[in-house]
Amino acid sequence: MDTQVIGHRTPRVDGEFKLTGRADYTVDWQAQNMLYGYPVPASIAHGTLEKLHLDTARAMPGVVDIFHHGHFPKLYRSPNSPTHQDQVSEVRLPFEDERIHYDGQYIALVVAESFEQARAAAHAVHADYRRESGAIASLLDTDREGRLLASEGASRGDPEKAFDEAPVKIDHTYHIAAESHMQMEVHATLAEWRDERLIVHESSQGVVYQHKAMARIFGLPDESVEVVSHYIGSGFGNKLFMWPHAVATAGAAQMLGRPVKTILSRQQDMESGGNRPASRQRLRLAADPDGRLVSMRHDSTTETSFVHRYVDSLGSATPSLYACDNVAISQRLLEVHHGTPCPMRAPGETSGIHALETALDELAVELEMDPLELRRRNYADQDPASELPWSSKHLDDCYTSAAKRFGWERRDPAPGAMRDGDEIIGWGMATASWPALRMPCAARVELRDDGSVMAACGTQDIGTGTYTIVAQTVAELSGVPLKDIEVRLGESTLPAGPLSGGSMVTATALPAVAAALRNAFDALKEVATGEGGAFEGSDPESLEIEGGALKDDQGKRVSFGEMLTQQKLGSVNGEGQAAPGDEKGQYSFRSFGAHFVEVRWDPGISRLRVARVVSSIDIGRAINPSAARNQVEGSIVMGIGMALTEKLDYDPRDARLINNNYADYIVPCHADMPEIGVELLDNPDYAFNEFGARGVGEIGLTGIAAAIGNAVYHATGKRIRDLPITLEKVMDT
Amino acid sequence: MRNFAFSSAENVDQAVSSERGNAGEASYIAGGTTLIDLVKLDVMRPVQVIDLNRLPLREVERLDDGRLRIGALVSNTDLAHHPLVTQHYPLLSQALLAGASTQLRNMASTGGNVMQRTRCPYFRDVAAACNKRAPGSGCDALEGVNRMHALLGTSEHCIATHPSDMCVAMTALGATLTLEGPNGTREIAFGDFHRLPMDRPDLEHELEPDELITHVTLDTPVVGGGSHYLKLRDRASYEFALASAAAMVAVEDGVIREARLALGGVATKPWRAVEAEQALAGKPARTESFEKAAEIALSDAVPREHNAFKVPLARQAIVRALEKASAASKHH
Amino acid sequence: MNMKEYSRQGDEAGSAETAVTLSVNGEMHQLRISPNVVLLDALRDRLGLTGTKKGCDHGQCGACTVHLDGQAINSCLKLAVMCEGHEVTTVEGLANDAGLHPVQQAFLEHDAYQCGFCTPGQMMSATALLEDERIGTDDAAVREAMSGNICRCGAYKNILAAIQTARGQGQAAPTAGKTS
Repeated sequence: MDTQVIGHRTPRVDGEFKLTGRADYTVDWQAQNMLYGYPVPASIAHGTLEKLHLDTARAMPGVVDIFHHGHFPKLYRSPNSPTHQDQVSEVRLPFEDERIHYDGQYIALVVAESFEQARAAAHAVHADYRRESGAIASLLDTDREGRLLASEGASRGDPEKAFDEAPVKIDHTYHIAAESHMQMEVHATLAEWRDERLIVHESSQGVVYQHKAMARIFGLPDESVEVVSHYIGSGFGNKLFMWPHAVATAGAAQMLGRPVKTILSRQQDMESGGNRPASRQRLRLAADPDGRLVSMRHDSTTETSFVHRYVDSLGSATPSLYACDNVAISQRLLEVHHGTPCPMRAPGETSGIHALETALDELAVELEMDPLELRRRNYADQDPASELPWSSKHLDDCYTSAAKRFGWERRDPAPGAMRDGDEIIGWGMATASWPALRMPCAARVELRDDGSVMAACGTQDIGTGTYTIVAQTVAELSGVPLKDIEVRLGESTLPAGPLSGGSMVTATALPAVAAALRNAFDALKEVATGEGGAFEGSDPESLEIEGGALKDDQGKRVSFGEMLTQQKLGSVNGEGQAAPGDEKGQYSFRSFGAHFVEVRWDPGISRLRVARVVSSIDIGRAINPSAARNQVEGSIVMGIGMALTEKLDYDPRDARLINNNYADYIVPCHADMPEIGVELLDNPDYAFNEFGARGVGEIGLTGIAAAIGNAVYHATGKRIRDLPITLEKVMDT
Repeated sequence: MRNFAFSSAENVDQAVSSERGNAGEASYIAGGTTLIDLVKLDVMRPVQVIDLNRLPLREVERLDDGRLRIGALVSNTDLAHHPLVTQHYPLLSQALLAGASTQLRNMASTGGNVMQRTRCPYFRDVAAACNKRAPGSGCDALEGVNRMHALLGTSEHCIATHPSDMCVAMTALGATLTLEGPNGTREIAFGDFHRLPMDRPDLEHELEPDELITHVTLDTPVVGGGSHYLKLRDRASYEFALASAAAMVAVEDGVIREARLALGGVATKPWRAVEAEQALAGKPARTESFEKAAEIALSDAVPREHNAFKVPLARQAIVRALEKASAASKHH
Repeated sequence: MNMKEYSRQGDEAGSAETAVTLSVNGEMHQLRISPNVVLLDALRDRLGLTGTKKGCDHGQCGACTVHLDGQAINSCLKLAVMCEGHEVTTVEGLANDAGLHPVQQAFLEHDAYQCGFCTPGQMMSATALLEDERIGTDDAAVREAMSGNICRCGAYKNILAAIQTARGQGQAAPTAGKTS
């Protein structure tokens, strides 16, 4: 497809709003007569709330009410059904009972006239607890195995027999600490009741889901709830599904008859607003002497809380990544006493691919084979799990291109062999992969008499650039310049769009927008060829769209706006729907890429830094290459944190979160950024959708921690199997 | 955060007299980067906050005896970039710039940095046991998550680390604090100002409740001394130290004439390693001498479950800092 | 895009309030606030200047960065009552009638953001550092000076490029066109 706008780097159409401070994030909204909510978190992880001492707080200036168990509306748990799109992050309702299941669980919500008053009063609430012993702080601190999940298992061939008979094998266990999303905008809700209608502003990755969940919980018809999320200070998965603070806020607003805004503190956000669960993974790989995989077993355990069942599917990529006849995956789930985990960027596979790609590096060492060569020898030309052909796979090109740009051929395989002054240089690589997902979607387009176009879809832009790619799509198909295109997202009243998750928005929403636009064109052609129209009597089929105008084969050209003005119409509309079709049974859809990493290890001062990352990623067609590359670069930065520093520290004695802030939970800062060279291959995947695009928000995070860990091994000769790789695990003592 | 009465002091006398009578319940504010942080956590609970920013304490001046007098309100940024500091006390400049972030250094004052409080997570959590915050409540850090905690100067009551970088450099350079109180002015050596936790971790320093730090005066620079501040941490910037070393070495003909060494990130107060300094004097300016000094400096270290690695890490910081300082010495 | 349709309200509730005059982006504002209100909340909740963001509320992320007399500070740790007599500049004060500030323009061209939430703080630090001759001009110095502004989206590479472009050295502004 020869394109004018799609596939060209495009400054964000919402850029000026973000750059001038005018973008309306949830935390920025205020309502008339609004109150401020501030949650009171439990300070124990396991036990019962015996008594709340509220008198002091109630008497403080500005305090309007304090909600808690026994003083809160009677609500209904959400059915939490993915099919019915009413999933929530935690099915337990706030203040449901007096049981405490994790540190930070809300035991009350203070509502006051100002933020300072609400916070001060929340600090003045005191609680008596009956503590129970045996709080499980983390999967990392216990020998418990968890429950085996039949639904998560898969196998082919006879991996056990093949493993036993193979000449070369490895069997190692890997741990990854729980991580925090640390999105810049904490969870926030502004809830307002207008008559019997609930209007919620929420920093949300899924306005449609939240609106349905709210309707279930408050026992309202769907149309009585509206959820708005125009700008989101990112989410990375923890804003996909609603959390209890939103329910608490809406309930308080209902009881008080005034709008209430609750903005979590960073501490509350980290304790009770989601996390990537800690994991334990055992990888058993076996190969023949030529490095061909003969057996892969991947057995995982992840955490969930005692109030919600969240499964991070760690083994889901493993059966598809490499050609191997004998494969088995299994997964266990362990309940722990900390806040409920939830999806975090490339959920499941980020952890799973980390273990697999580290294990492959270990196998390469056993085989005395270059780790890149090992991957090439096990290249999967079709999806070994589904036995379907790939819709489009160019991983071999990613390997070749990234290796060349990195200079991989100069690698001395001996650990510690490459030095530069005080520093030892380590080079490592790993494969990246993420499935290409697509869901049904609806959209609406309006062609207006002023020549502008409005496109609307009930999905969100969490910073990935959805506003811009929707505008690009409209511009490409209509010829209307970007400046005359308005995009509306983030409202549950718009035609239902997808969650901003799973890297599925591009492939899901753009075909729906295109369908709506084409229907709007048809409506316009009808007007144009109808009575009094500029092309009265012409065959609508004979008219073409070009440069924001209709054109006939005689060369006559009338702009959309002119046409509508002439007919005294404000606009014509098109509604459109799009959904995956037969291709689903014909192909397997997945993106691939390769990361190559250089670390620098200064053993004299135990300093470990990532110096250079070169990545080649194939995501089909990048609709907006600058925003797409930005996604991969950002994923690399996040992966550095996962590999080297990020860990939620739960006190093993009482399961309380210790590093509950931005100073003690260490994410990469600007000075940590390495030299980054990201290349996006341009191989449109038209079997997947008409624009040839797969998603790009997540794949960059997969494999990056493994590539870093593999580089650390190459530098130091030490295989660190537990993330994060903090310096004490590597240093010579 | 809880509310408080607020007033601004117009001069030093007013500042010290206005606090009198409210001992323990009033707090001075300069940059606010410690106070506001801790009031928001309900860890500090002032009834009254007295703003010091109108006081005339923003000068950096060289005294006739060669010492450098720094007003307590000089910001960390201004001090780090002051020509007299970059020229004569580059160690202090390095240490300041290794601390916090640009924004925090712009706000933080010299006096406030001296009064900076620990980052111990149990101190910062009002639901945890902490003898420093709530005397007699115990110490959750002893058997808790203590990776960031101190090795030196600890007690069975507190192992909280002193977080400042600036103070580490000052204690190495040698300095005097000028304190103003209702009874007049007094001076105290920098090294004597911060207290060890012992059985009263809540008593962190020698400042009386109605006293104010007005100046820090640095000793005359060591002639020919090279220096280096090395801060080791998990990420590259904007993080408290796992271990840091402030080293200054004057080398003549390959022999150490004088050495100064202080540690951060590993001690309950800015930690001057006096015995290590003495051991360095007269020794060849070589790695073996530095390694020996590092052994001595850490010989009293009491590691805990998660921070044992900081013993070798601090040794590495010392050796590398001494090597760099030695290389920078003018007479080597 | 939709703009905020709710009106801003001044908060008059509470006790022990004091009158404060704040000069923000060249405009004087008279407020009655209690002493425990930090500049960040005064700007956002009282003056409706919500461009300045709260990310951590403890000086640990940099999202709340504003200028106080031209210097970048964390407005979450600054009492509003202490800002009287000083000039506060926020992201709303960067652009003027002539258009975006060069730093804003460079951020736009380099895609130096994703979610945009840390962006006002990033730009306030960037504009301050470009005016501060004590801070070096090489990439390493800029990266160190910008380390007090966390970007969890990880757009550091583009932020650096935007700052150096705005300085008028380093990378040239990218040109529109197809790239791989």
